[in-house]
Amino acid sequence: MHTNLYKTEHLLFRETFKTFLSKEIIPFYDQWEKEEIIPKEVWKKMGQNGYLCPWVEKEYGGAGLGLEFSFIINEEMAYAGVYGLMAGLHSDIVAPYIHTFGNDEQKKKWLPGCISGDIILAVAMTEPDAGSDLSSIRTTAVREGENYIINGEKIYISNGILSNLIVVACKTETGNRSPYKDVSLICVEDGSPGFSRGRNLKKTGWHSQDTGELIFRDCLIPVSNLLGEEGKGFYYMMEKLQQERLVSAIMSQASAEATYQMTIDYYKQRKDLKQAEIPTDANGIAEMATDIEIGRTFLNSLIYDHINGEDIIKKVSMAKWWTSDMANRVISQCMELYRDYGYLEDYKVGRFFRDARAHPIYAGTNEIMKRIIGRKLGI
Amino acid sequence: MDFHLTTEQIDIQNAASEFAKGEFDPDAALDYDMRQQFPSTIWKKACELGFVGVCFPEKYGGQELGLLENALIVEAFCRQDSGIGMALALSDFGSEMIVRNGNEDQKKRILPFVAQGEGIVTSAFLEEGYFLAPLSTTAKISSHGFIINGIKSFVTLGSIADYIIVVCQTGLDTPHAQTVILLEREIGGIEVSSMGEKVGMRMVPVDQVAFMDVRVPAENIVGQEDTGYFQLQDFFNEMRIKTGAMGIGIAQGGLDKALEYSKKREQFGKPIASFGAIKNKLADMYIDVEMARLITYKAAWSFDTGMPDNRAILITKMIASKAAYRNTYEAVQIYGGYGYMTEGHIEHFYRDAKVLDLFLEPGQIQRNMLADHILGRVSEK
Repeated sequence: MHTNLYKTEHLLFRETFKTFLSKEIIPFYDQWEKEEIIPKEVWKKMGQNGYLCPWVEKEYGGAGLGLEFSFIINEEMAYAGVYGLMAGLHSDIVAPYIHTFGNDEQKKKWLPGCISGDIILAVAMTEPDAGSDLSSIRTTAVREGENYIINGEKIYISNGILSNLIVVACKTETGNRSPYKDVSLICVEDGSPGFSRGRNLKKTGWHSQDTGELIFRDCLIPVSNLLGEEGKGFYYMMEKLQQERLVSAIMSQASAEATYQMTIDYYKQRKDLKQAEIPTDANGIAEMATDIEIGRTFLNSLIYDHINGEDIIKKVSMAKWWTSDMANRVISQCMELYRDYGYLEDYKVGRFFRDARAHPIYAGTNEIMKRIIGRKLGI
Repeated sequence: MDFHLTTEQIDIQNAASEFAKGEFDPDAALDYDMRQQFPSTIWKKACELGFVGVCFPEKYGGQELGLLENALIVEAFCRQDSGIGMALALSDFGSEMIVRNGNEDQKKRILPFVAQGEGIVTSAFLEEGYFLAPLSTTAKISSHGFIINGIKSFVTLGSIADYIIVVCQTGLDTPHAQTVILLEREIGGIEVSSMGEKVGMRMVPVDQVAFMDVRVPAENIVGQEDTGYFQLQDFFNEMRIKTGAMGIGIAQGGLDKALEYSKKREQFGKPIASFGAIKNKLADMYIDVEMARLITYKAAWSFDTGMPDNRAILITKMIASKAAYRNTYEAVQIYGGYGYMTEGHIEHFYRDAKVLDLFLEPGQIQRNMLADHILGRVSEK
């Protein structure tokens, strides 16, 4: 069934995208990692070539392609270890909020920019006191005439520095109602009065990915920037998390596969040339290969089900935690096959090691995934 | 059998812990890590207070303590900060060979120098080829002593060392005929170049050292001619235990931070420490560090009795480096997003911990060695 997930058109697209990556992204990536930011022009290049939101319908300027194409982009970027340029977040996690819950006017206003790369998207949920527990967000949006007045702070926001359109989760009611019924999603545009950005935070990995703090002080946003209905934000987020977690699992799986492949290539070459062979190595390599095969089989079946519109919350939560822990397990072991060289930044395995540590944390921590699975199992 | 530390050992442990808490500023640690700088000021203070070279005989500036006491200090340091702890623990790297195999003159010259913090000594044994026998770095006999040629890799603290203890091939037909030679950094013909940025342990420079017709007198031999390979095995044993101590320190540090954070951090209306997912982790972390500590202390104790338990020593490095890795992995996880941010003061523990798996020899190699011991393929000492 899912073994032929991809058809010829997908394979051709993959090859074209790989060529784009190797010409326009990979040669400059080390430099961007040092500068801790991706140039905005690179986003535009992605857009010009049709690699942002390729699934959006033609009437909004998109290519109207299937989600497979987006997933191929995510996968290839993770193979190359390009986490700084978070096209997956932009195209497949944030843009769907606008696409699904936005009205026609909003879609016409913003989606063409999302496709061209003139607009870079972010979604702001996390706050200093609201991480796993989204119901405890404190950022408020109080309606005054034709505007919302937003106050609060968001942290660890990916694309936090570059983004010029941010879907912000705010409390529009405080007090009596259920904490799940007073969250609204409001689009904040760059330059809005009262909106500012904090620091670009330093991290273990993903150095070129701008992870920022957003600050709202009496920030004035027109009511027309509300996505969908007031008070439904929490349910909108729950609805979209399935795809977010699938994208996360795709990235984890790809990072394990890429690191495994580069390690095996290196190991074989070292073994021939210089390195004494250790009998226990081969056994460990077989275990890694098995982990990767199991992950890939499971993941492809979920990609297939998701594209066919099935509710796979339980399984995708399983895939998110398992593939992200597996990727770290595999990459950690790969480093050992490089011996001391694995610790040197000149060898790419070290960067993959640092980058992979993010997967079990973002898009819902692995502990939250297990909580969801437990609920779905009725325990 | 008595598992208690002596009063003296507890005093040492407390003194090291107090020193680390007082001197290892968390923000300074991040800064050293970012700038890849050796923490010289803290190191000097540690030397002044007698925390470096504790195993050296008293007449050479040491305290004649055992490896167990040394391990207690290393553990306390790494517990407080993985980066500073490892840097201090490695500041006398190789001097163990002078203690064990050096002659009177070498001991007088090197040991007080190291213990008093006048300078750094390191040792160079690894090479690009990664074989330990035969080595490509050679020492050929000349009229005045030796002429050394070759390139050593992964020399810790190479760029700031005042003395380098280098292991050279002296017998060309016998792979194990190697000789340990003490070199002054300034002797001429030595070129040090950085091996670049590292994932962690960034306060300890790791360098390539090239020896080009370096001429040394015969009295610079440490130990006997052609016995270097075996001297190195003893040194490795000692280092495996010291690495184990770094591992339990880092693992305990990860647990300390995870406990503190999980009690303080509230989500869903209660501290995250009250959730099963977190409690499971904390219990596992405690188990890991406790197991690693037991075997590390046992290994150090056996080493100090003069009859090192080689199996325990191999297990020590494996278990303690795994504990350090797993505990810091989970500590980062418990911190969540904050854990991945440098300012959380935990992620560098995770990056640092990984080196222990790679240092000296990776776990796979040690498992292989341990299996050979168990299978009776290695003669026990």
